Amino acid sequence: MRNPFKKDRMIGKARQKRQYDLPLNKSSGTGFLILLICLMTFLAMLALAASFALSAMTERWSSGLENKVTVEIPAEKPDGTIYAPENIKSQTARAYEVLSTHPSVVSAHVMTDEEIRDLVRPWLGEDLPLGKVPLPGLISVELNDSTLKTVKILETKLQDINEKARIDTHEEWLSHLLRFTGALQFAAALLTVIIGITTVTAVAGGVRSRMAVHNAEVELLHLMGASDNYISRQFQRHSLIMAFQGALGGIGIGGIALMTIGWISGEMGVSLLPDFTLGAVQIAMLAALPVLVALIATLTARQTVLKVLAQMP
Amino acid sequence: MIRFEHVGLRYGIGPEVLSDINFALEPGSFHFLTGPSGAGKTSLLSLMYLGRHPTRGLITMFGQNTGGLTRKQLVPLRQRIGVVFQDFRLLGHMSAFDNVALPLRIQGKSEKEIGNNVHELLEWVGLGDHMHVLPSTMSGGQQQRVAIARAVITRPRLLLADEPTGNLDDEIGYRLMNLFEQLNRMGTTILIATHDHALIEKFGHTKLILDGGGLTVEQSTHWLAKKIEGVF
Repeated sequence: MRNPFKKDRMIGKARQKRQYDLPLNKSSGTGFLILLICLMTFLAMLALAASFALSAMTERWSSGLENKVTVEIPAEKPDGTIYAPENIKSQTARAYEVLSTHPSVVSAHVMTDEEIRDLVRPWLGEDLPLGKVPLPGLISVELNDSTLKTVKILETKLQDINEKARIDTHEEWLSHLLRFTGALQFAAALLTVIIGITTVTAVAGGVRSRMAVHNAEVELLHLMGASDNYISRQFQRHSLIMAFQGALGGIGIGGIALMTIGWISGEMGVSLLPDFTLGAVQIAMLAALPVLVALIATLTARQTVLKVLAQMP
Repeated sequence: MIRFEHVGLRYGIGPEVLSDINFALEPGSFHFLTGPSGAGKTSLLSLMYLGRHPTRGLITMFGQNTGGLTRKQLVPLRQRIGVVFQDFRLLGHMSAFDNVALPLRIQGKSEKEIGNNVHELLEWVGLGDHMHVLPSTMSGGQQQRVAIARAVITRPRLLLADEPTGNLDDEIGYRLMNLFEQLNRMGTTILIATHDHALIEKFGHTKLILDGGGLTVEQSTHWLAKKIEGVF
């Protein structure tokens, strides 16, 4: 067919690389959303890591104290006077003999003054004058059966030696501690959910804003016969790349923060806090966070675009 | 091809801009749509390219009642229609090549097929040297040709053009009209909205005249004369 037009002179070239059908990568606000996703991922990583660490701590405490009890031979008599230290040591030795011969007892260990001092040091400080403070006798015992019945039988036998002798199964303080760590874990989970909702809301808002800015182009694609899936893929791809960039930044910063916290908790050593360590599975889950964030952002973009497109004829 | 029966259109709660419209376009026909400014030409075109739903009446396109189709079912119908918008609606961040390739990409054609077809068509409309030029650096006439190339690249069965010569000088305008006639001879049904009476008289095709919201069909005497002479 004859060419109906003359050729025109060259006026300047665009890049020959194929562009997005919609210029979403050039929209203002992209940087802000990437930063927001970065911060959200960082916070989610900290919350999840805290939840994992609390779970590990609880597990360690529970398993460490399973079937273990502490026998206390009080220094105080029923009338309120104090036993002489020699009497306490004598009663403790007798109690040890009773325990050692009982079939329910796997092992027993009389705690030395130094061990008792270590136990109370975090509360009373370094300069504890052992000679002036009446210390009870303590025996750490491992049972093969720590049911209430066994504990009662043992306690009755021990009260023949010292009327106020008692067996501490750690249940009371452990249940308080577990309740407290459970509350912290719930707070961490709630925080993660809030972070997720914030991310979804921000991405949805960003997509809506971009659809408004590029309304003419979206309508043009629609009129050319582009399916809803075709149009939504444009936004999905953009959201996926944006979320991945932000999430990788967030996880990078989060990783540094967690390593710093781990190092600090390691430096604190013996004190009240156990080591802040995570298992390989938990680290892998944290590392998968960018994939999850990108997936959430992509699905959010898709749902938002399809909802807006449904209003078109 | 297209049949409008008692079609009406109103925006919101305003008066009807189109009222009781009845007409039919046969396959392979060429029509002008004319009328004074504000008569509703663009609104009528938007109904024809499925850009909006009528307030009342029945529109049949390619043998299907559009009112009974889902959004998904409208997609293949839209792909059979090429539209040249009055304001071109080229995508500013894309080269001429990518603008023209867009409808083919939407239809999922291979990049090889796209490359061959787009190169050939851009050469044909005289923009072979402007393949990778952005629309913002093109003249009005060049942009118009890109818009036309984009509208015809998929070989649509129906081509709708809204004031395609409105901003062009006479010479370019007549060239474009010749291009439309060539496409029409290749089997494309064409409807051109214009208020350029000289153009309508020169090419002498059937006129759809919109006025006061109503539409009348008028066969051109020029067209009748040509028919009598056995040109068609």
